[in-house]
Amino acid sequence: MSSESHPEAPSQSVGPEYQPATQKPKATVSTVIPQSNVTILPQTSQLIALLTMIRDKNTGRADFIFYSNRIIRLLVEEGLNHLPTVEHSITTPVGQTYSGVKFEGKICGVSIMRAGESMEEGLRNCCRSVRIGKILIQRDEETSKPKLYYDKLPEDIADRWVMLLDPMLATGGSALMAVDVLKSRGVPEDHILFLNLIASPEGAKNFAERFPKLRVVTAFVDQGLDEKNYIVPGLGDFGDRFYTM
Amino acid sequence: MTSAGRRSHYSPPWGNASIIGVAGSSGSGKTSLALAMVASLSLPWVVIMSMDSFYKPLTPEQSKAAFRNEFDFDSPEAIDFDLLVERLQDIKQGKVAEIPVYSFEKHARVEQTTTIYSPHVLILEGIFALHDPRVLDLLDLKIFAEADADLCLSRRQLADIIIPRGIENKVAISMVSAQIQKTLAHKSAQHQLELERLGNIAKDSPLSPNALILPQTNQIKGIHTLLMNPKTSSEDYMFYFDRMAALLVDKAVDLLPFTPKQVTTPQSYTYMGLTKSAEVSAVVVLRGGSAFETGLRRTIPDCRTGRILIQTNYRTGEPELHYRALPANIAQHGLILLLDPQMSSGGAALMAVRVLVDHGVPEDRIVFVTYLAGRVGVNRVLSVFPDVRVVVARMGDDMENRWVETRYLGC
Repeated sequence: MSSESHPEAPSQSVGPEYQPATQKPKATVSTVIPQSNVTILPQTSQLIALLTMIRDKNTGRADFIFYSNRIIRLLVEEGLNHLPTVEHSITTPVGQTYSGVKFEGKICGVSIMRAGESMEEGLRNCCRSVRIGKILIQRDEETSKPKLYYDKLPEDIADRWVMLLDPMLATGGSALMAVDVLKSRGVPEDHILFLNLIASPEGAKNFAERFPKLRVVTAFVDQGLDEKNYIVPGLGDFGDRFYTM
Repeated sequence: MTSAGRRSHYSPPWGNASIIGVAGSSGSGKTSLALAMVASLSLPWVVIMSMDSFYKPLTPEQSKAAFRNEFDFDSPEAIDFDLLVERLQDIKQGKVAEIPVYSFEKHARVEQTTTIYSPHVLILEGIFALHDPRVLDLLDLKIFAEADADLCLSRRQLADIIIPRGIENKVAISMVSAQIQKTLAHKSAQHQLELERLGNIAKDSPLSPNALILPQTNQIKGIHTLLMNPKTSSEDYMFYFDRMAALLVDKAVDLLPFTPKQVTTPQSYTYMGLTKSAEVSAVVVLRGGSAFETGLRRTIPDCRTGRILIQTNYRTGEPELHYRALPANIAQHGLILLLDPQMSSGGAALMAVRVLVDHGVPEDRIVFVTYLAGRVGVNRVLSVFPDVRVVVARMGDDMENRWVETRYLGC
C-alpha cells in the first residue's frame, strides 16, 4: 500500500471543553476505528503536543524518552482502569465513610522485545513491584514471517491479568504471535490488555478482530502503512530512537 | 469569558496598609525607635522603609559636590517626594512596590530595587517623613522623635506623638506598639469578616463550572480509597499520592495555550500537531504544596517553581502570608499552577491567588491544583476570581482538617 492511497487523516479543533471552538487550534487527531475493544486515549491538546514531540525527527533522544514516557504513563493509567475492582468502604481520617474500591486480581507485564521494554518503566511507575515477562519475536529472513525466538514469563501467568507492551502496532504480526504465546500458557483472552502508543488502522482492526475479547489501549491510530510496512506518519523506529540512535 | 457581573470583592489583610511616619532630626534616634517598635512586635508584616532610599539621583555637578562632602543631604530638595508618594500609594493599595536602592558610595541609585509587598503596617522613617503634605495625607500615625536641642518646631507641630530621648523612652515605645497591635488586630478581624462574607455568597451557589474534577474512574477511586484509609502504610500513601499528583498536573497542563505545529517524521512524513505556546510554572503553597513536587517533576522536570508560605493562625483561624519567593517574570508565563493538596475554607487559596494577581499574573492563567476541596471553599475563591480554574481530584467536606499533607510529610 502506498502513502497516496490513504484516506485523509481526521483533523479537528483540540482543546478543553469549556473553550469555544474558535479558540482551539486545529490538529490531526486519531483515526476512529469501529472495533469496540479498542480504547483510544482522549485526544487532548496535551496528548497531541506530546505525540508531536516524539514524531518530530529533530527531537533528541533525551526528549524522546521523556515525552514517550509521559504518554506511556497515560496509557498505563487508562489500561489499569479496565482491571476489575471490588467495593471497599473505609473510614476517612475525618471519620466519614467513603465507599471506595479495591484493586482485584494479580497483574503482570509482558514486553515484546525490544521496543516493548521501553514501556516497563512507565508500568513500574504505576505498579511498583509488578512482575515483567519478556517475549522476543523476530522476522524470519527466509519466510518473512514473525518467529518466536525467546520467552520468559511468570510461572503463574495463567492466573494473572497481563499488560502486553509494544509501542508500535504496524501489521500486528508480532503482537498476534505474542498473544498466541500467552494463550498457549493458559492466559484467558479477556485477561490480556495490549498497551500501544501508535497503531496503524489495518493493524489495529486486524488484531482487535482476531482477539475480540482482548482489549487494546492506544494513544493514536495513524493514517496507514507505507510499502515498507512503516506506520504513516508514525515516528520512525521506536526502539532505535529510544535505545541506540 | 465575561466575569464582571459575577465577581465578588476581596480585600486581603494588606489591602489597606497602615503607614506610620517617624520623623526627627539626625541623631534623634528615629531609626532606633522604628527598630524597637518592629522588634517589640516581631511580625513579618510590619516593615520599615527608610527615606534614604528615595534620594534623588545627583546631577554631575551635585555628584562632584557630594564627593567633596559639600552636598546637603539634609535638605528636602534632595528627596524624590514624587516617587515616594507613588510607592506609598502602591503599598497603601496592597500592590507590589519596587523601592529604589541608593548607594552612598556612588552617590547614585543602583540598578536593582528591593520589593515591598503585603505589609499590614509600614513604618516610614526619615528626617523629612513629616514634610510633604501628600505624604502626610497617607500617614495613619505621625511620630516625632525629639533630640535634646530640637528646633524643628514646624515639623513637631504636625506630629500625633512626640517621643523625647528616642530609644530610652520605653513607655512611649510600648504605647506606640500597643497602637500598632490594635491596628493589626482590627485588620485581622476585618479580614475574617471578609472571608465569612464571601463564604455566605459561596454557600448558596452551585459548584462553579471552572472547578474541573478528575473523572472518578476505578483507578482514581481505588487510589482515593488507599489515600483515605488511615491503615495504608506511609510508603504506599506517598507512592499513590505521587501518582495522583502526576494525574492532576497532567489534567491542569491541558489548560495551556497550544498552537499548531507541523513536524516531519524520520521517514519524511509530515504530521500536523500542536506545540505549547508558553511556559508552565508552578507556585507551591507551603507547606502542604510541597507534597505535589514529586508528581509535578514527573510531568515537567524543569518546572520553575515559586514558593509562598501561608499559615493559618491557630488562634483566629485566619490565613497569614509569611513568605514568598516567585520567579521574576512570572507575569509572562503561560500557565501558573498553584499547588496545595487541600482546600477547605478557601481562605489560604484566596490569599495565594491574590498574591499572584498582585504580581501581574492574569487570572485566567492561574490553575489551582488540589487533591481535596470543599464546595464552599472552591466557590469562595471562584466568586472573587471567576476566571481562575480549579483542578481537583475529589470534592470533600468543607471543614476537613489538613490531613492530606500531614500524612504525606509524616508530621
